Amino acid sequence: MAPSSLDVVLKGSSGRNTRGLLRVIILCTIAAAAVSSRLFSVIRFESIIHEFDPWFNFRATKYLVENGFYSFWDWFDDRTWHPLGRVTGGTLYPGLMVTSGVIYHILRLLTIPVDIRNICVLLAPGFSGLTALAMYLLTSEMSDSPSAGLLAAAFMGITPGYISRSVAGSYDNEAIAIFLLVFTFYLWIKAVKNGSIMWGALTALFYGYMVSAWGGYVFITNLIPLHVFVLLCMGRYSTRVYISYTTWYALGTLGSMQIPFVGFLPIRNSDHMSALGVFGLIQLVAFAEFIRGYLPGKQFQKLLTSMVLLTFGLGFGGLVLLSVSGVIAPWSGRFYSLWDTGYAKIHIPIIASVSEHQPTAWPAFFFDLNFLIWLFPAGVFMCFQKLKDEHVFVVIYSVLASYFAGVMVRLMLTLTPIVCVAAALALSCILDNFLVASTPSTETKAKATTEDKSLRSARNPVVGIYSWFSKSVVVASVTLYLLMFVAHCTWVTSNAYSSPSVVLASKLPDGSQFIIDDYREAYYWLRQNTPDNAKIMSWWDYGYQIGGMADRPTLVDNNTWNNTHIATVGKAMSSREEVSYPILRQHDVDYVLVVFGGLLGYSGDDLNKFLWMVRIAEGIWPDEVKERDFFTARGEYRVDEEATPAMKNSLMYKMSYHNYQSLFPPGQAMDRVRGTKLPKESPQLNTLEEAFTSENWIVRLYKVKDLDNLGRDHSNAVAFDKGLKRKRATKRKGPRVLRTE
Amino acid sequence: MRFFTATVLGLLAPSLCAATSLTTPSRLDLPSGFKPPQVFKNTNLVRNTNLEKSYVRETINVVVENVDKQPQSDYYIPFSAEVFDRVGGFEVRDKKAPEKGRFDVDYTEAVSSDGNQYFVVHLPEPLAPKSQITLGISYSVLSSLSPLPATIQQADKQYLTYSFSAYMSSAYPTDTQKTKLKFPSTNVPDYTTTDGLKSGSDPERKGATYTYGPYDTAKVAPGTDHPITVRYEFTKPVITVNLLERDLEVSHWGGNLATEERYWLRNNGSQLTKQFSRVDWTYTNYQKAPTSAVRELTYPLLPGSVDPYFIDDIGNVSTSRYRPSVGKSAGNLELKPRYPIFGGWNYSFRIGWNNDLASFLRRAAGVDSDSYVLKVPLIEGPKMAEGIQYERVIVRVVLPEGAHNVRFEILEGTNSNGLPGAEHIHAQLSSLKTYMDTLGRTTLTLKVDSLTDEARDSKLVVTYDHSMIDALRKPFTIFAGLLTVFVAVWGIGKIDVSIKKR
Repeated sequence: MAPSSLDVVLKGSSGRNTRGLLRVIILCTIAAAAVSSRLFSVIRFESIIHEFDPWFNFRATKYLVENGFYSFWDWFDDRTWHPLGRVTGGTLYPGLMVTSGVIYHILRLLTIPVDIRNICVLLAPGFSGLTALAMYLLTSEMSDSPSAGLLAAAFMGITPGYISRSVAGSYDNEAIAIFLLVFTFYLWIKAVKNGSIMWGALTALFYGYMVSAWGGYVFITNLIPLHVFVLLCMGRYSTRVYISYTTWYALGTLGSMQIPFVGFLPIRNSDHMSALGVFGLIQLVAFAEFIRGYLPGKQFQKLLTSMVLLTFGLGFGGLVLLSVSGVIAPWSGRFYSLWDTGYAKIHIPIIASVSEHQPTAWPAFFFDLNFLIWLFPAGVFMCFQKLKDEHVFVVIYSVLASYFAGVMVRLMLTLTPIVCVAAALALSCILDNFLVASTPSTETKAKATTEDKSLRSARNPVVGIYSWFSKSVVVASVTLYLLMFVAHCTWVTSNAYSSPSVVLASKLPDGSQFIIDDYREAYYWLRQNTPDNAKIMSWWDYGYQIGGMADRPTLVDNNTWNNTHIATVGKAMSSREEVSYPILRQHDVDYVLVVFGGLLGYSGDDLNKFLWMVRIAEGIWPDEVKERDFFTARGEYRVDEEATPAMKNSLMYKMSYHNYQSLFPPGQAMDRVRGTKLPKESPQLNTLEEAFTSENWIVRLYKVKDLDNLGRDHSNAVAFDKGLKRKRATKRKGPRVLRTE
Repeated sequence: MRFFTATVLGLLAPSLCAATSLTTPSRLDLPSGFKPPQVFKNTNLVRNTNLEKSYVRETINVVVENVDKQPQSDYYIPFSAEVFDRVGGFEVRDKKAPEKGRFDVDYTEAVSSDGNQYFVVHLPEPLAPKSQITLGISYSVLSSLSPLPATIQQADKQYLTYSFSAYMSSAYPTDTQKTKLKFPSTNVPDYTTTDGLKSGSDPERKGATYTYGPYDTAKVAPGTDHPITVRYEFTKPVITVNLLERDLEVSHWGGNLATEERYWLRNNGSQLTKQFSRVDWTYTNYQKAPTSAVRELTYPLLPGSVDPYFIDDIGNVSTSRYRPSVGKSAGNLELKPRYPIFGGWNYSFRIGWNNDLASFLRRAAGVDSDSYVLKVPLIEGPKMAEGIQYERVIVRVVLPEGAHNVRFEILEGTNSNGLPGAEHIHAQLSSLKTYMDTLGRTTLTLKVDSLTDEARDSKLVVTYDHSMIDALRKPFTIFAGLLTVFVAVWGIGKIDVSIKKR
C-alpha cells in the first residue's frame, strides 16, 4: 500500500535522512533561484559591469589579476585625480577584488579560461546563493520550526531589497558583504549559544573578511557590542557571552587592523568606541562576578558601586580628553548625516548629492520588501515572546536597522536580512499551526501547561486550530501572498534593478528592443583615438566609467575623497569661459566630457545635476560661484531664452547646447528633458572645440584648445576666423588672465 | 597597441617536434655591392597597376630572354628596401602556363651598397640561351598610397597620391615597357605628363585607365628612375588592419569549428582638419553621401555559420546585425563600428562564430586511419569594395589535444591566391593548455606579413593524426580528478580531530 511505503521513507531514521535530503534539495533550489533571478540583465543585454562604482572595482580587479597581490596592495594610481593621484591600494576595501582574484586563479589552475570580467559580473549572483544558505543557518538558530529557515532563505534569495545590490554585473562591495554580514551574525549567535572559542574565532575571521570587503562593517562593530550590552543590562551575563565576546573582539579587531584602509581606526575612531567600551565593561562585570563569589553581599555592593562610578568617570573623562586632543577621531560626516538627515545638505553637499544617500520614501519599503514588511513586526513580537539571547539580537538588529533604513535609501540593504528572519519566523509559526492536518489533542495541551516552569514571557501559550475552514482560509491566503511576493519580486527585479545604466534600452514602435549605447561609443572613441595620457575632465559621476571603459586619466571620480578638487571641476563647469579656461589649462585637461540628454529626453544628464556642481563649488568659492545667479528673478531654473546670464555663460550650458540648434529648423530647437524651446542662436564656444558627440548626443566631448598661435585670446581668434569685425574692448570685465604657465 | 599573444605553455609532446613542413622563412644574404648577373633581357614589359582599391595591386607581364651563353634560371627582381617589406603576396608564374603553379622565389636581405632588396625567381627549367619565357609577376604594395591633402573637412572628397617610376625598376635592360594605371574613377585632378619620353601625349587617357608608355628603353640603364605622381579621388576609407589574429579551434568531441578573429584596424585616409562634427555626419548619413570614413564592414560568413558575436574591449557592440545564410548562400555579418572611423582613427574589435566541423574535417582514406584532414579558409575578413590591407596576420589552428604529425599546405589554383609561397609563411607548432587539458592542444601558428583581401579565398589544409586514446584522455583525466577529490574528502572525513575524551 502506498501510505505504508511512504511511512518507511518519512518515519524513523530513514525519515530523518529523507527530510535532510529534501532540505538540501530545497536549499539548492533556493540558491539556484536566487542566482537565476539576478540574470535578467545578462540575458537581456550582455555580461557587462553595471553603473559606476562597479567599474572601479572591475578595474582594480583587473589590476590585481595582472600585477599580483603585492603591487595591488601598494597601488598608487596616477590615472585618477590628476594631478594628485590616489593611493588606491590603501584607500579601498580589497575583499571584493581579492575574492574574484582568488576565484580567477583557482579556475586558471584548473585551466579553465574564464574571463575576469565574467567572474566579476557573476560574483554577486553567486554570493547571493550563499547568502540564502547563510540565512537558512541564521534563522534556524532562532526557531525550532523546520520551515522558518527555509522560508527565510527563500525570502532572502529573491527579495528586491537585496537584489537591488546584487544583480549580475553589479560588482560592488555589497555583492559579497551581505553574505558576510549574515554569516558573521550566524557565527556570532552560534558563539553566544555555545560559549565556544571556536565559534567566536570563526566570527572574528568572517568579521575580518567583512571588514576587508565593505565599509558597512561598522554596523557589525556596533551591533555585536550593543547585543552584549543589552544582555548585560538584562542581567544575562554568562561565561558564554564573556568567552564569545572577548574572543571576537580581540581577534576581530586585530584582523580588521590588517586592512590598510582601516588601520588604527578601531582604536582611534569614535565609530568603534562602543566595541572597546563594551569590551572593558564585560571585563569589569566578569571581575565583579568573580569577586561576588568571595565577598559577603554588603561589602560587594559597596565595592560594586564605587567601582562602577570610578570606571565610568575614568572612562568618560578619558574618552572626552582623547577626543579633544584628537587622538580619537570625531564622528565622520557620513555618520552625522545618519542622525540628522538635514546635516549633509548643509555641510557636505557632496554626500547629499548622491541619490542613494537620500532618506527613504515610504513606498520604497513595500517596493523592496513587499509583504515581508508587515510580517516583520509580527516576527519581532514573537522574538519578544521567546526572548532568548539570540532573540534579543534580532530585536536590537530590527530596531537599529529600521531606523537606518528610514534615513538612507542604501541602508535598506542592512534591513533586508533581519526582515527576512523576522518574517520567516512569523510565517513559519502561522504555517506550523495552520498546516497541521490532525486536530490538537487535549493531552498535549495539559502536558504543556504543567511542564513549563520557565519565565512567563518565555512560556509558549498553547494554541490549536480545530476548524478545517479557518485552516484552509489561512493557508490559502498565505499561499496567495507568497505567490504574489514571487510575482512582485520578479517584476521589480526585471523592471527596476536590471538595467546596466551604461546601456540604455528602449522599445521601437514594432516592439523590438533598441539599444542606446552612447556611453560606450564615446568611451571607446576616447580609448582608441586619444593619446594614452589625455586627461579627461567630467563631473565625478563618470570618473570610474572613464577610468574603466575609456582607460584615460580623470580629474575626479566617484571616490569623492577630495572635496576641493571636485569643487574645482564644479567651478570650471559653472563659470564663464574666461574663468574656466585657466582652470582647465592649470589641470592639464585635454578633453571635457559632458552628458546631455536634451535630444533623447534622457533626464540623468549634467544640466540636471548642474545645481549640485554649483553648490559644491560655492562651498569652496562662495564669492565666485553663487547658486542664486543660476535662478531667474522668479526663482526658476531655466535654460531657454529667459535663462540668467550666469547660466547662459557657464561652460556647462555652452557645452551642452553647442551646435545643437543646427539640428533643428531655425527657432525650433527643443530640449526634450526640460521641455523648453531653446534660444535661436546656439552658444558660442571659444576656448573649446567639439571633438566627438555620440550618436544620440548623450555624451559630448570637447577638446581644450591650445593657446592661440598669435597670442590673441580665444574669443578674438574665433571672431577673426568667422570674419567678424574686431570689437573695441570698451568694457573690460572680469579677470583677463589667459596665459597660464 | 596590445598584442594578445597566446600563452603557450611548454610540454611539447616529443612527437610534435618530428613534424615536417614547418618552416621559418629565411632570407638570402647577399654580399655588399652585389649586382645581379646581367644574363637576361626584358624584351617587353607591361605593368598593370590597379588603384581601384586602397592598396596597389600590380601585375607585370614580362617577356624575358636569356642573353647569356649558359642556360640561366635565377631571375632577380629588385625593390628598394623600404618598399620590399610592404610587398605582399608576391607570385611569379609562367604566363603561358599558369596552371603549372608558382615558381620558387627566394627573398634576400637588403644589399647594403645600393639599398636594393631582391626577389630571386627560380625558373623550374633553366632558360636556354636565346630562348624566351613570359613571366607573370603579381604582387600588392601596402601603404603606398598617401592622402593629399593630408587633412580634409569631414564632408570633403578624399584624394590619394601614388608615386612610381615610369621606368620599371628591373635588374635587367628592358627594350620596351609601358604602365597601365586603373583608377577607381575618372576624377584624376593631377597627374605627371612626361616630356620627350615618347612621341605623342603621355599618358594616354581612356576613361579611368591611363597608360604611360610604351617607352623604348633599350638604351636606358636598369634602375633609372623617372618619377611620376598621380592624384585621384578616392572618397572611401583606406582600411588598414595593423594586426589580425585569427583562431580556429577544432573540437572533435563537440563536432565544432570555432573561429575567432581579433582586428586592430585603422583608417589611413585623410585626417579631419577640424574635429568630428556629429551634425555634419548626421547629414552625410541622411544623404548617403560617399565618405572617407568606415561606416560599416560587411563580412560574408560561410554557410552554416552560427552564433556570431561582435565585441570589443568594453563589451558587445550592439549595432551589428547578422543575416544568416539561406541554403547554400553565404551569411552576412554586418558590422557597424561604435563610431564612424575617420582617417587616423583606430578601432579594434573581435568577432567569432561557430561552424559544424563535419563540413571542414574528414578522416583520411583508410579503414582505421587515425589521420584527419582539415580544410579551412586561411583568412576570411570583411569584403569591402575598397579593399583591406593586412600588415600582419597570425592564424592559429588549435587542434585537439594529442594531435601529432601535423603538416599543412596551402591550396594553389591557376590564379594568384594573394599569398606568398608556403615556404615564406612562418609556421610554428606549440601547445596550448585550456579547458582542463593535461598535455595541451597542439597549435599550428602561421604568420604572414603584408596581405591584402585578395587572399580571402585561399584554403589551408592541415593534416594530423589523432588516435582514440588521445580522444579519451580528457574524460579519463576528469574522472580521475573527481575520484581523487571524493577519496580525499572521504579520507579527511574519517579523521577524528576532536579533543573530547573518547
